[in-house]
Amino acid sequence: MRNRLELTLLIVVLMVLGIGTTIYKINVLGFSFSPDKKETIWTVESRIDFNADGGPVKISLNIPDNRSGLVATERLRQTKEYKLTHSIGENGAKRIIWSREDTPKGAQHIYYRVNIFRRKSAQKAAPQKAPTSLPQLSQPFTDVYLEAATTLIKEAQNPEHDPVKTGTSLINELNSPEQNQSAATLLEMPRDSGGHLGLASDLLAQAKINNRIVKGLILSKDNRNKKLSSYIEIFDGKKWQLINPKTAEVEDPDAFLIWQQHNESLLEIEGGSKAKVRFSSLSTKILANQAAIKGGQQKHSWLIDFSIYSLPLASQNAFKILLLIPFGALIVVILRNLVGIQTSGTFMPILIALSFLQTTLVVGLILFLTVVCVGLILRALLSHLNLLLVPRISAILVFVITIYLAISVIGFKMGSEVGLNVTFFPMIIISWSIERMCVLWEEEGGKDVLIQGSGSLFTASVIYVLMKNNFIGNLTYSFPELLLVLLAIILMIGTYSGYRLSELRRFEPMGRE
Amino acid sequence: MLLTTSKRLRQRGIVGMNMRNVVYIGQNNQRKFYPRVDDKLQTKVLAEKAGIAVPRLIGVARYQSHTKKLKEFLAEENAFVIKPAKGSGGKGILVITGRDGEYYLKPSGSKVDDRGIRRHVSDILSGLFSLGGKPDVAMIEELVNFSEVFDGFSFEGVPDIRIIVYKGYPVMAMTRLSTKESDGKANLHQGAVGVGIDIGTGHALNAVQHGQPLKVHPDTGRNLKELKVPDWPVFLELAAKSYEMTELGYLGADVVLDREKGPLILELNARPGLAIQVANNHGLISRVEQVEAELKKCQRTPSERVLFSMQNFAL
Repeated sequence: MRNRLELTLLIVVLMVLGIGTTIYKINVLGFSFSPDKKETIWTVESRIDFNADGGPVKISLNIPDNRSGLVATERLRQTKEYKLTHSIGENGAKRIIWSREDTPKGAQHIYYRVNIFRRKSAQKAAPQKAPTSLPQLSQPFTDVYLEAATTLIKEAQNPEHDPVKTGTSLINELNSPEQNQSAATLLEMPRDSGGHLGLASDLLAQAKINNRIVKGLILSKDNRNKKLSSYIEIFDGKKWQLINPKTAEVEDPDAFLIWQQHNESLLEIEGGSKAKVRFSSLSTKILANQAAIKGGQQKHSWLIDFSIYSLPLASQNAFKILLLIPFGALIVVILRNLVGIQTSGTFMPILIALSFLQTTLVVGLILFLTVVCVGLILRALLSHLNLLLVPRISAILVFVITIYLAISVIGFKMGSEVGLNVTFFPMIIISWSIERMCVLWEEEGGKDVLIQGSGSLFTASVIYVLMKNNFIGNLTYSFPELLLVLLAIILMIGTYSGYRLSELRRFEPMGRE
Repeated sequence: MLLTTSKRLRQRGIVGMNMRNVVYIGQNNQRKFYPRVDDKLQTKVLAEKAGIAVPRLIGVARYQSHTKKLKEFLAEENAFVIKPAKGSGGKGILVITGRDGEYYLKPSGSKVDDRGIRRHVSDILSGLFSLGGKPDVAMIEELVNFSEVFDGFSFEGVPDIRIIVYKGYPVMAMTRLSTKESDGKANLHQGAVGVGIDIGTGHALNAVQHGQPLKVHPDTGRNLKELKVPDWPVFLELAAKSYEMTELGYLGADVVLDREKGPLILELNARPGLAIQVANNHGLISRVEQVEAELKKCQRTPSERVLFSMQNFAL
């Protein structure tokens, strides 16, 4: 049974390859089985304004570090005169650098736009390392301030509270100095830098709560010309929680694009002055699979680069239909070999289904039946002439065109345009069908024509319904590797030697006692 | 009951279409040997070489130029059949039963002249009767002098005996009787009656039409139980010998009975159907398994195989 082993091996390999690639595409590239699943895409645009001194200019902008969960689908440089490079600083901060040798003197703008979407939630994507030590206070509390701080911390601390709860209640108290004397005292403390936010951070550190100040963009609402907003993150023992310092509420980290984590400089300029950066963001929803394809193209994933997505759009549409044909073949195999439906010609039902795609099902069925019936009658008249095969089929083709023309004209005069949307392709299919039916009629009789004809139409209808199905269309187009799985299933059915459903009926008398 | 269960069918040892295709045909019949049975001319040449009784070949018309010599060629022949070597479904078979002066007589009594014969041969050569319209050759063979033992069992024509041969062992047999409903054709799903024949004796077992059992022929009213095939071992031996000749492990042999020459092989089939199981009310699997077990023991001659089959497959 060497054959058997080879076949099993082949089936297993095909299955593993097909399913493995599919899982990879879903988990890593972000494809989705659901054709309607949408992803939110954020278009983030930064606009840098500065005054150039004239001559060489070098501007560097800090870019978000925590990007492992993010996928860029498109990068757009609108300022083509500047050379663009990337650099990574000593603490891992990434920067974009624009440089230009011959910048004219005066006001300059640089635009940079990225489309991104979040593949994984921010907390899952970022490694949640526990901080090794408490943060350094930027300015230690002294005298009255130390007293006030201690009072505040005592009020906020509660054995049942976790660091986040303690932290938020501290920030809350700090935010309402009119109700709390200690908070008011603290707010009067002269500070060198950091302001209110620095005070809050120091106060949390004094309370032995791990915290850090982060800057970033809130993506959940559309922003125009915004500066980065500052937030406080508190480590709750497992992960960093994002706190809005104004409301003292925990925010959704997925909607926040962290730009600065390590207090690095946001914008640096050489050869210019008065540089400032503003951000705009806009959120749109696009299909998840589209986003995955674009993201994969940006990443130069070979699975995307060497696939039908790299073809021109017009050919992709043709392939969308081509990729459905194997699916139709599977249906034919199942209906013929497992169910036992008789069809005229092995793949005629697929071709009929394809021609239904151009007419819709009911109209297609009516047209098909009408044309085939009239064609059969005319073919019967022809059979007396004892023509050879090729002239015979050619004559039928002429018939079909004529019948079809007549149906279209009569239909149109009666106000129906259904006859008008059939093209050349179905004509040939119908001619062949008529020829096959005629041969069958002569060799096996009218009953067989009826059985095989209705079997073909039924199979074609099933295939049509499946081809029209959005889910299956998405499956074959977004996961062409599933063809391997399909092939494996067909191979398996190819060795199936059990009974067909129809045989349970056919041999029913044999099953009796 | 509308449906039976596959468990029940397995118990009865019924072979299904998939099993026939995957196991019986797929593992036993090599594709390269198909022409030996699909081309009737090749079958005949092989059979004559192997000493298997077939209707005698009178001649072959291969080219259009041969049609001109037909009259001369057929001058000595009274009764003959002209058929395409690769015809399908019994199309293109012209039967001539005798002469009336210049004319040839068809079984219906109508006359055909020389030009009619020539046109028919020409049609065969140009592929009018072959599948796909491929050019063919015309065979002229001796008319079988059908024995009258089957008179009254068939509505029209004379029945042949289909014997399934598995690796040289006859395993099951049946005959198909045409009816008015089947339009004189011996095709079971067009309404012909299938009668199972006991491998041990050559006697009729039971008869079915449309899968339902029946006792008498629906048109002639003849009791089908009375059907007995004479010279039964000769039938079986002919069928058994065709295994060596074709090297096809799963084979259907159609045998007819000539009044003088006895059983003759008319046609061989590499993809015999499964209705024979219904006509015999018996599955093929158990018999095939018995043959496989026997094959492990030793190689046997055709007549030894026939003996084995008659002893083991009698009901």
